[in-house]
Amino acid sequence: MNAELERTLPVLGKAEPPAYFISYTVTEGQHATVTGSNGALLDSSQALTRWLQAEVRVGSYDLDNTHKIGGTQPAFQPSPGAQVPIENDAAVLQRAIWMETDRQYRAAAEALIKIKTSKEVQVQSAEEHAPDFSREKPEVSIGPHASIQLDRHPWEEKVRKYTAYFRQSADVLNSIVTFTAQADNQYQVNSEGSKLQFGQVRFRLELFIQGKAPDGMDIDRYYNFDWTDPNQPPTDDAVMAAEGTMRHELESLVKAPLVEPFAGPTLLTGRAAAVFFHEVFGHRDEGFRQKDMNEGQTFARKVGEPIMPSFISIVDDPTKKTLGNDVLLGSYPFDDEGVPSERVTLVDHGVLKGFEMSRQALIDFPVSNGHGRRQIGAEPVSRQGNLIVESSHAVSNAELRRMFIEEIKKQGKPFGLLIDDIAGGFTFTGRGQPQAFQVQPLVVYKVYTDGRPDELVRGVDIVGTPLLSLTKIVATGDKPEVFNGYCGAESGSVPVAAAAPEMLISEMEVQKKESSSDAPPILPHPFHDKQAPKPQGDHQ
Amino acid sequence: MKRGRSLCAAALAIIAAVILVPVARAQQKSDATDRTLQAMHDELDRSKTRMQIPGLEKPYFIEYRLLDLDVRTITASFGALVSSTTSHNRFMDVNIRVGSYNLDNSNFISGEQFQGFLGSAGQVGVDGDYESLRQDLWLATDQAYKSALDSLARKQGFLRSLSKPPDVADFSQEKPLQRIEPKAVPDWSNRDWEQEAKQASQVLRAYPDLYGNRITYTLVYETYYIMNTEGTEVRTGRSLAAIEAGMETQAPDGVPMHHFYTAYAIHPVDLPSATEVAHQLDTRGKELIAMRTAEPMPAYGGPVLFESRAAAELLAEMLGASVSGSRPPVSMVPMYDQIMESRGGRSEWLGRLNSRVLPAGTSLADDPSAKDAQGRPLPGSYSVDDEGVLPQAVTLVDNGTLKDLLMSRRPGQDFTQSNGHGRALFLGDPHAESSNLFFKSANGVSPDDLKKKFLDECKKDGRQWCLLVRELDNPVIGDIHDEGEVQDMVAGASSGERVPLEVYRVNVADGSEEPLRPGHLLSMDLRLLREVSGIGNDPTLFAYEQSQTLGVQGTALAAFGASADGLPSTVTAPSLLFEDVEGREARGEMRRLPLVPPPPMQ
Repeated sequence: MNAELERTLPVLGKAEPPAYFISYTVTEGQHATVTGSNGALLDSSQALTRWLQAEVRVGSYDLDNTHKIGGTQPAFQPSPGAQVPIENDAAVLQRAIWMETDRQYRAAAEALIKIKTSKEVQVQSAEEHAPDFSREKPEVSIGPHASIQLDRHPWEEKVRKYTAYFRQSADVLNSIVTFTAQADNQYQVNSEGSKLQFGQVRFRLELFIQGKAPDGMDIDRYYNFDWTDPNQPPTDDAVMAAEGTMRHELESLVKAPLVEPFAGPTLLTGRAAAVFFHEVFGHRDEGFRQKDMNEGQTFARKVGEPIMPSFISIVDDPTKKTLGNDVLLGSYPFDDEGVPSERVTLVDHGVLKGFEMSRQALIDFPVSNGHGRRQIGAEPVSRQGNLIVESSHAVSNAELRRMFIEEIKKQGKPFGLLIDDIAGGFTFTGRGQPQAFQVQPLVVYKVYTDGRPDELVRGVDIVGTPLLSLTKIVATGDKPEVFNGYCGAESGSVPVAAAAPEMLISEMEVQKKESSSDAPPILPHPFHDKQAPKPQGDHQ
Repeated sequence: MKRGRSLCAAALAIIAAVILVPVARAQQKSDATDRTLQAMHDELDRSKTRMQIPGLEKPYFIEYRLLDLDVRTITASFGALVSSTTSHNRFMDVNIRVGSYNLDNSNFISGEQFQGFLGSAGQVGVDGDYESLRQDLWLATDQAYKSALDSLARKQGFLRSLSKPPDVADFSQEKPLQRIEPKAVPDWSNRDWEQEAKQASQVLRAYPDLYGNRITYTLVYETYYIMNTEGTEVRTGRSLAAIEAGMETQAPDGVPMHHFYTAYAIHPVDLPSATEVAHQLDTRGKELIAMRTAEPMPAYGGPVLFESRAAAELLAEMLGASVSGSRPPVSMVPMYDQIMESRGGRSEWLGRLNSRVLPAGTSLADDPSAKDAQGRPLPGSYSVDDEGVLPQAVTLVDNGTLKDLLMSRRPGQDFTQSNGHGRALFLGDPHAESSNLFFKSANGVSPDDLKKKFLDECKKDGRQWCLLVRELDNPVIGDIHDEGEVQDMVAGASSGERVPLEVYRVNVADGSEEPLRPGHLLSMDLRLLREVSGIGNDPTLFAYEQSQTLGVQGTALAAFGASADGLPSTVTAPSLLFEDVEGREARGEMRRLPLVPPPPMQ
């Protein structure tokens, strides 16, 4: 990589237009997957790949080929990269880098000409005067090579067992359990002098079941375990306990009544609050969105202003590996632009302080804070790592529930809503779309003030304005809960975590979700079919 | 069950999904030890008797298909291993028809369709486990039935709006078939495939002007199950082994260029040795480097000689949709017809039964049951087609006259029964496709005589040189880093534009050959075959993968395939001489040459 960089720099640096920045990244991925469904093994495989991405920037830090003009599509369409040998054959790798560099340089040079032409005729937003690429200190760090030694066989047995359990329920129509193990190593060099090698190991177990309510509404339950120490997988007891809860929730939801439209006090459990903040706040606080004229620029001009109650602070900290006993999935030593990860304060006591930044600079935020991330094949943009919501008005969860009941009474509502689980939906941050968010609550209870037990309801959709709901937080619990997941956005899917305590919101508005046109299966589950003799299957 | 995906995506997702050649000869009526057959049987039975939404029609036909797939894929470049994977997966597809054989939910393309929560196709367990398969089939059957009812309602509504609805039936009635062949058992351990891929591609290090190259070995074993409510119960084992290599460079004036090599066999053990592959790659490397600096093929009009291999490749492209006798679907989407048209999906032989379509004395036949030709096994062969129908040899053209067409269970205006040519990629919709095509002539002359005739025609035209084509291009395999060139090259195939790869200028005075950089030959459609002015007696077998990329199957583009998205097929044909063909220089976009010279290779 270095040899090719040394050969290329003097030539492309003097070309017209000149390349001012070149970087090469090879990502080596050792991935194993074991998937089971309905009691049988679906897939068990392992692969080793190396993927090369070359980046060539022409022009200057202030104005280069990645510059976005007004609302137009970026002129620069980079190549996703190329698969390179998994063996250490320097000559073959060097040739692949050479081809990829040429491809990138051609595309970049073409884009810069288009940008320079259209820049003269287009309206400029303030942030378009910010540099296209931040100046950063070169980093040299050679870490150990990460790898996994894995026998997939025990996991093949486990996924069979974990999915076979769900056959006991006539309401669980389909189940999928997936175990993944991955060791990723990144090798990166750039023309500024950075030389990096770092690796990470991740393990994950995902449980997913599907059911249907009598009106055809899809009822899905999902749970995941994440760990980084190969010797600390979840115990069978822990998995079976999670499965028991999932099954119980699914069976209850299938029978639960539909929610009616409601606006009033709402309590979010920690996991639900974490997902809520990731979607509603975290995505809108990504630096690159403040620059794009198509985006609502929700926070662009709000730095220094209060945007939520003064007891709430939010940081994004990819340097943190665990919170309590939980692994944080959005941890990494360097981001995908080779910048060391940093803990960054986004909100301090309710006041907006900053953004998750990549090397795409803003006028008031000229440098990266190590949040430039991407999936292999995509271009890095600013993304979340570990979003952590902290509170200085924290009470015990029991006290928070008491305050919740009080709030319901105060507002004269018949009940309040307790949201126990929420699916990260799709946040509409584009200007052309309504400023509403669609996070999908999955497990929701009506909480009454007269001591009646909580009542499960289904089909809940949240409606409303995100910024507004952030201002309506009344108080929080004192135990942060972690949600780990893979977040999809402009630069692909990246591992993230969000952590938040329970949260009481004075008003949230919900509506009834549209139902599916696909009714429940016509025939009963083959193992719960009373009309037919029990199938005579045997296990092998 | 893992969520059903679009068949196109499914085809791409799995490295190779191929319809292959029979592994086994032994066969029986049933196999009591096969839990897969039993689960399919029991769930089919339950569905047949009880699947019905009150007040709506019952299915008149239910079909279960299951594909058990073992795939080994190895890729190397310049002697270094790029990837090496082994996978074992199983997939199912449930097909339900409501209505009647005459008019059902099939053969209809509408903008919308039923959106179920799982779909009627998907990945299922590899354990041969009875319970899980019944559960998966149960859900897929449910989804297929709802989807079929939805389609039939839409179709009936649309047909009422047509002044002249099609009068051809939707589905043919066939005799049920019970045939249980042994399962395919993977055996790829007898050679070190990683080592062979590395060794073979190592020779290309000797060509510093080659920008990139890639060689992929794909070894596939599959067991295919099909069962339906008419009583068909089939299990068949198949295998395919493929070597596919591409290499690329750029001419000094900036035109991107490539070359390719393929070898197909039924069993991995029959693939050429690493030494032989290395030799072949070396030859092609040399040819590509020579083409790089060769003069571009100029605008041309005159005689062109297609040597036998190029002639077979030409037929594979030209015959495309014309060999199929199936009816087209009814489409609510006007785009569909335009897309099929632009890809060469319209039969040139429609309504031409009993007319002359080829020169007198020539014949065209397709035989999926043929085991070998010229001592070589035929990768296009199969023992049962993908609809569970036994394949028949079909003589399409006899003494120049069109007599028959290839049929799946989708009827057509001239023929209503299947002749066992329903072929599908990866549980996709079966289409009537060729398998092993044989073009024969009673009047073939020796290659020397044909070349003499060629040169005589040139002289008669007063030409100093003429064009000879030795090989046609397959850009899908040759072009590794496609930057739009493939689209450019295949775009003209439907209008009869053919892209030679190896084309020579033959000096009329002394018969000497000089390589040219490839251009395009124009208007080479089936009509031109009637005017062929000379035929050799040198039949050559060309094995290839008929592309099944969505929307391309059965079109002129189908010849541009690779094992990841194709059906193994062969065309056997002799050299062909055409009196008057026009050609032009390639109009590909020239790219600037890399500013940095290539790095050293050693």
